[in-house]
Amino acid sequence: MSEEVKIVERNEISRGAVMLFGFPDVGLVGVIAASHLISELNLTEVAYMDSRLLPPLIVLHEGLPHSPIRVFGNHDVLLAVSETAVSADTIYPIMHTLIDWGRSKDVKKMISMSGIPIQDRQDVKQLKVFAAASNPEILKAVKDKGVQVLKEGYMVGPQAIMMQYCAKTDVPAITLLAQCFFNYPDPEAAAELLKELTKIAEIKVDVSKLLEKGEEIRLRARDVMRRTQQEMSKMKKTQEYDIPMYVS
Amino acid sequence: MSTKRKRSIFNIISEYFEDLQERTERFRDALIEKPSWNHRACTMEPLQNIMVTPTEVIITVDLPYAEENTIRVKPISRDTIEILAKMKRKIRFDDFGITHYEGEFETLYCQTRVPVPVYMDKMELRFKKGILEIHLPRKHEYEIPIE
Repeated sequence: MSEEVKIVERNEISRGAVMLFGFPDVGLVGVIAASHLISELNLTEVAYMDSRLLPPLIVLHEGLPHSPIRVFGNHDVLLAVSETAVSADTIYPIMHTLIDWGRSKDVKKMISMSGIPIQDRQDVKQLKVFAAASNPEILKAVKDKGVQVLKEGYMVGPQAIMMQYCAKTDVPAITLLAQCFFNYPDPEAAAELLKELTKIAEIKVDVSKLLEKGEEIRLRARDVMRRTQQEMSKMKKTQEYDIPMYVS
Repeated sequence: MSTKRKRSIFNIISEYFEDLQERTERFRDALIEKPSWNHRACTMEPLQNIMVTPTEVIITVDLPYAEENTIRVKPISRDTIEILAKMKRKIRFDDFGITHYEGEFETLYCQTRVPVPVYMDKMELRFKKGILEIHLPRKHEYEIPIE
């Protein structure tokens, strides 16, 4: 674990769980999905991140201070979620520390929840969800469950670091990416992602409340989206639109 | 003898542009550091985006809770438009669990600067899934001939 970043455990952590990640990114898909999972599965805070690399802020809930990056969980699931945009220059130590911590808890697989931006998103009736995986075996398992694979392209942000580090450390990892708006909160995309998550993580979650609260979430998430957009521009997020040129 | 290596002109230019980019980003961040609401005017500022194509400028605005028939888009100068929409219901801070501010909001409001010349009078609007699309045909005021 990095000395700059520490995970402080508040409760006993179950071993062999599935570890999920929901970080601010395009459409805030991961954060919206994570927030819905926390309320639907009654996940409680089991650990939090302590680091001087984080911005000098705390999140107040019911008058009490909390770290902006926390891990929620139950017996089967661990969910790392950030309530603030993570800056490009701190993503590496933050993601590496979370993944090392998950490995120390023998998590069976890691799944990052995020989005993939599309133009004219408002005209799309049925949003697609794509997956990428850290090794060929898990990619095959994902395909066998009927999830579409993101074959070629760039990935930028926390999920890119997760995939790279999990591949290097031999941790089974999947990134789920739902088609979404680039810079508008997208609860509908989060709902589609959670439907696909059910297929690969044996996590059953009803998305009807998420869809009902769609407008409220969009209004409430404007400020987080705005700040996330600033960080996305620093990490050249629009590179995900680029057509890759592979040299084989 | 001094071993100090001379920097190439390319390094100097590259550093100059990196420095300029950093300053621009800091300036831009400072400009947008303001609340996304105004309790005196009872307005909330929606998120917006601008795309310039060869033929038109497309502005999109995310308008959650907007009553479609109350959406108003008005040019207020040659290059600025104002967007207003009444919300389906009044939103209070305590709807978001916030108790240290008071106020209620009934309108989504923003102004947008159009980056290239356009025909404001040929504006077209679409509203779909809570997203307002404003289409403005571009005005090509001059052309540089290819010799």
